[in-house]
Amino acid sequence: MSGPKNMNARERARLATEQAAARKRDRRILIMMIAAFVVIVVAGGIAFQAWRTGRAPSTVPSASVSASPITITNGQPIPLGSPEATVTITLYEDFHCPHCADFEEQFGPTITQAQEAGTARVELYPMAFIDEGSVTAANAMACAAEAGFGQGYYLGLFANHTLQWSDPQLIDLATKVGGSPTEAFQTCVMRRVHADWVTSMNAAADTNGVAQTPTMLINGKEVDIASLTPDALQTMISDAAQK
Amino acid sequence: MSSSVATKPRLAAAAPWVSTGARVVLGGVFLVAGGLKVIEPQAAVAAVRAYRLLPASVAPILGWGLPFAEIALGLLLLAGAATRVAAATTAVLLVVFMAAVISAAVRGLNIDCGCFGSGGDVAPRQTAYGIEIVRDFGLLLLALWLVWQPRSRFALDHLATGHLTEASQ
Repeated sequence: MSGPKNMNARERARLATEQAAARKRDRRILIMMIAAFVVIVVAGGIAFQAWRTGRAPSTVPSASVSASPITITNGQPIPLGSPEATVTITLYEDFHCPHCADFEEQFGPTITQAQEAGTARVELYPMAFIDEGSVTAANAMACAAEAGFGQGYYLGLFANHTLQWSDPQLIDLATKVGGSPTEAFQTCVMRRVHADWVTSMNAAADTNGVAQTPTMLINGKEVDIASLTPDALQTMISDAAQK
Repeated sequence: MSSSVATKPRLAAAAPWVSTGARVVLGGVFLVAGGLKVIEPQAAVAAVRAYRLLPASVAPILGWGLPFAEIALGLLLLAGAATRVAAATTAVLLVVFMAAVISAAVRGLNIDCGCFGSGGDVAPRQTAYGIEIVRDFGLLLLALWLVWQPRSRFALDHLATGHLTEASQ
């Protein structure tokens, strides 16, 4: 019974079993390595985003638009630019709305230019519906306007829109945009002094029929942002200025 | 693994190509969906919060982590690496997504699913739960196909397990 032929068959069977086991083991190791890869990517990603949203704001070139300190009144937008400007650009924006940041990146320079030239002034309705950071940023925006560096602060908020807007970040931003974080400003930020005003901005947007951000009006007429180009905006502003 | 199709030669010949197509579509969608969310971490967290299902402390972890998981799964599917495991994980995720969207619809929330970035609360008439669920269901079918038929053309799996020789038998 124990001939060489029989041995060979048994040997072959054993070898095949071993090979199958080895292949199975290899596959299991491979799957574990891939699982580890995914876990590392996800954990690294969470850490990366925590850093991205928690870091200090970056410096923004200080705005040359003169901004005298203003008084914050419930239901009233923040004026940015010369009171004598003939064109009024009304903006409804949430500081954490991604499309608003895109809008600002694309059209912000054109608008800022018109403000600097004295042709246009912005009436800003900061809305707060995305998250807690929308609220703290809108409140701090009011504090900055009150302190007289609203224009720079506005640009700084959008230039750093990935930040979560904790109190230290909002206070730090004042310095980064050429303002000064006075004690009054810090208190204003930390105590959410303009919380009611932020709520009133949301209510005002509702009343004015604004359902989405960003929404832009030039001299009271809504502009279709979807098909807008910076050049077209420039033309719209100069046309409005001549009327 | 493919005994069910071995008896039908035509299907056996077509299946790897169908699987390749499923990998590209599913992997591509996940890669794009994850990529769009990664660039806007605040919005991703806000989208998670909008479902009002998780405690506030967990929302950032999901909002920041999930997009990277989607990217990783998308890359695995596109590369055809560990296809069956990746597809099974994707299928589980899709079921969770669908359950979340259905729960939002049932609870009368007015939100965007946040599937491809943005997300969050929308106006009552702007919800698109039907389309979102149908889309997820279509993707789920692709994922389940890949769990059933993980073997496909142009896949890294061949290198690791020697399936290429098996497939050519």
